[in-house]
Amino acid sequence: MNFSFSEDQVLLRNSVRAFLDEQCKPAHVRAMMHDPRGYDPGLWSEMAKLGWLGLPFPEKHGGAGLGMVELAIAIEELGRAAYPGPYLPSVVLGGVGLLLGGSGGQKDTWLPAIASGEKRATAALIEETLDWDPASTTATAVRSGDGWKVSGLKRFVPWAHVADVVLVPARGPEGLSLFLVDPRQAGVTLSRMVGIDLGSRWSELRLENVGVGANAVVGQPGGAGPLLEALLRRAAVCASAEMLGAARRCVDMSVEYAKVREQFGQPIGSFQAIRHRCAEMLLETENSHSAVYYAAWALEAGAEDAAVAASICKSYVSESARRACGDAIQVHGGIGFTWEYDLHLYMKRAKALEPLFGDAEFHRELVARHVAGAR
Amino acid sequence: MDLNYTAEDTAFRKKVRAWLEQNLPRTPIRTLDERRAWHRKLCEAGYLGMGWPKAYGGGDARPMEQAIVADELARACAPAPTNALGLGIVGPTIVVHGTEAQKKRYLRKILMAEELWCQLYSEPNAGSDLAALRASAEDRGDHFIVNGQKTWTSAGSIADWGLLLARTDPAVAKHKGITCLLMNMRQPGVEVRPLKQITGSSEFSEVFMTNARVEKSDQVGRLGEGWAIAQTTLGYERGGRALARITSYASQYGRLVEAARRIRRHGRPLVDDPIIRQKLGRIWAELEVERYGALRMLTLLERGEHPGAGGSLSKLSYSEFEKRFMELAMEILGPYGQLTEGAPEELRLEIDTAVGEQGTWAYAFLWSRAGTIYAGSSEIQKNVIGERILGLPKETRADRVGGAR
Repeated sequence: MNFSFSEDQVLLRNSVRAFLDEQCKPAHVRAMMHDPRGYDPGLWSEMAKLGWLGLPFPEKHGGAGLGMVELAIAIEELGRAAYPGPYLPSVVLGGVGLLLGGSGGQKDTWLPAIASGEKRATAALIEETLDWDPASTTATAVRSGDGWKVSGLKRFVPWAHVADVVLVPARGPEGLSLFLVDPRQAGVTLSRMVGIDLGSRWSELRLENVGVGANAVVGQPGGAGPLLEALLRRAAVCASAEMLGAARRCVDMSVEYAKVREQFGQPIGSFQAIRHRCAEMLLETENSHSAVYYAAWALEAGAEDAAVAASICKSYVSESARRACGDAIQVHGGIGFTWEYDLHLYMKRAKALEPLFGDAEFHRELVARHVAGAR
Repeated sequence: MDLNYTAEDTAFRKKVRAWLEQNLPRTPIRTLDERRAWHRKLCEAGYLGMGWPKAYGGGDARPMEQAIVADELARACAPAPTNALGLGIVGPTIVVHGTEAQKKRYLRKILMAEELWCQLYSEPNAGSDLAALRASAEDRGDHFIVNGQKTWTSAGSIADWGLLLARTDPAVAKHKGITCLLMNMRQPGVEVRPLKQITGSSEFSEVFMTNARVEKSDQVGRLGEGWAIAQTTLGYERGGRALARITSYASQYGRLVEAARRIRRHGRPLVDDPIIRQKLGRIWAELEVERYGALRMLTLLERGEHPGAGGSLSKLSYSEFEKRFMELAMEILGPYGQLTEGAPEELRLEIDTAVGEQGTWAYAFLWSRAGTIYAGSSEIQKNVIGERILGLPKETRADRVGGAR
């Protein structure tokens, strides 16, 4: 039993952090807010060259052959930098989704292209009702020749505007199925949704009789339920890692500020009211670290409690990150409320991720089902 | 990262489990003698003082082995051994700071529960501000004469010996004039008065010392170094047993869910109420996060690292969690939760309180209030985290300069 990072994992964390400290300063995050694409393709291909866009893919698919723990490590660092770009959608929703359920041909086509940064992917997991349970899907797929016609309305599709392929769940004659859809093809309409975190991008995705071929089904027709649940768990843990990174940044900034900011003739960190708040922020952030990396390990190792560990992680971190980021503003006082100061970049990122892939209440019900049975 | 137990540890766990199946007492322990007998049985099997050096009767065991034994004891709802302070604090203090003569004289008897120990630290006016203690030890050449009052003395009523912090020099700054002594509790001049607590039981006592005698050979460490020694011993109170604690919580949680299945509200079992489900889900998530934290702590200990101020994070986390857990239990159990007698069997909590009584939910709820006070209150832990981990500046405090009186 060993609950600490290996030397290679520490090396990975340090190199991602060093890269982002240099390449993704707050000025970069701010610049991307006004960029039509929202991310810097140059930086993207640098990250691809370093092997980070294919971290969890097997080497034969152009990946680094690493696991969920390494993925969480990299994503925590992205959160710490409030990195603006489609990393989680492309690598996790698209890449890991295909890795979990794609055919050999689909993996050959997409994974190396995602890993090299040439192509970007995403997934459209929720609809108007905002229910993360895959069983709630109402989009439809009807047979048409060899393939299907897919129709439906998807909400909050992350980074769809720069995606080359979208994983779209729809209900077909065989039941819930997952389709690969090109967002530029006829019948697809994208409209932008703008949230508080301008480093994230969202679209509404409307599909009207979008024709896809026989080879566009991921997994078996009618068999997408378990695949989508497995993907949702991984995405939830990765989003938690990103929230953890944002929360950590907020804790670090608060502690540094509390050491130097003086009121009543003393650094505010010497007051118990501030010191105790910082200690609580650290405690919940450390607990979040435990929750994220336990769940990441459990998913990778196929541990018995992997599913519930993922839900424990998302429910715990969603709220603790919200508190840490909120408390950071409180510690900073008025300066923390300004647009000029960087704190809000991280706070907004954590807030945007909080409801994604199931909020705390959604995952707590899954935990309750595990310990107390279904209602 | 690899959170699987090694084959060696899994085999060890099996061995402990098999031993417990053979040896677990079949009837409840009611007297101190019965508890001592159970203690000796555990000791002879090598399951107590496991981390102590072999030379002093210990097992030189790894932290993981110690954690596994504690965890299996909790899993089997085994009665606690006696002499918890002797094993957990006094013994390790003597191992690290004691003289060879002290080690020979005391360690074996602590291990076998031949002599029971208490810790004479807190005073009525020195709780969180422990260094403000005033009990005095006056140098009389070959011995000290001790006067003063201690309080919150766990196991005081059954103790034969006490690990005492006393002021030997009132003229220097308050952290500097304290010495650590081993005091015989069975002598004239030492009076122990059990304190009745809010639980109705008496784990704690007050201790009055009037011209009590401590031999010079029973001084631990150097004169005036008691504070530093106490800091290391306080550290032993944290950490180690975390996994076992969580296993106990988990079995209590199982009973709570059972209770929530039986109690009904608006015509349906409470466990099907979405609000109760949210709360049950939250507490289980928190309980598991505590378990992950315990595994992280064990990783550190296994590498031979001392958790240091990290122990404060752990103590703060689990003691505050325990309060939330027991508050939820009271909420779910409603009027049943407050019962100390007469609850239907299926809604009872049967925990071993280590004083020979079976605990109830009400007892566990009240006892949870102690965890955030003893061994450094939550507020003290937050100060330690703020100052030692985060490096935040200290408060300007008058007591950090000048003499103790």
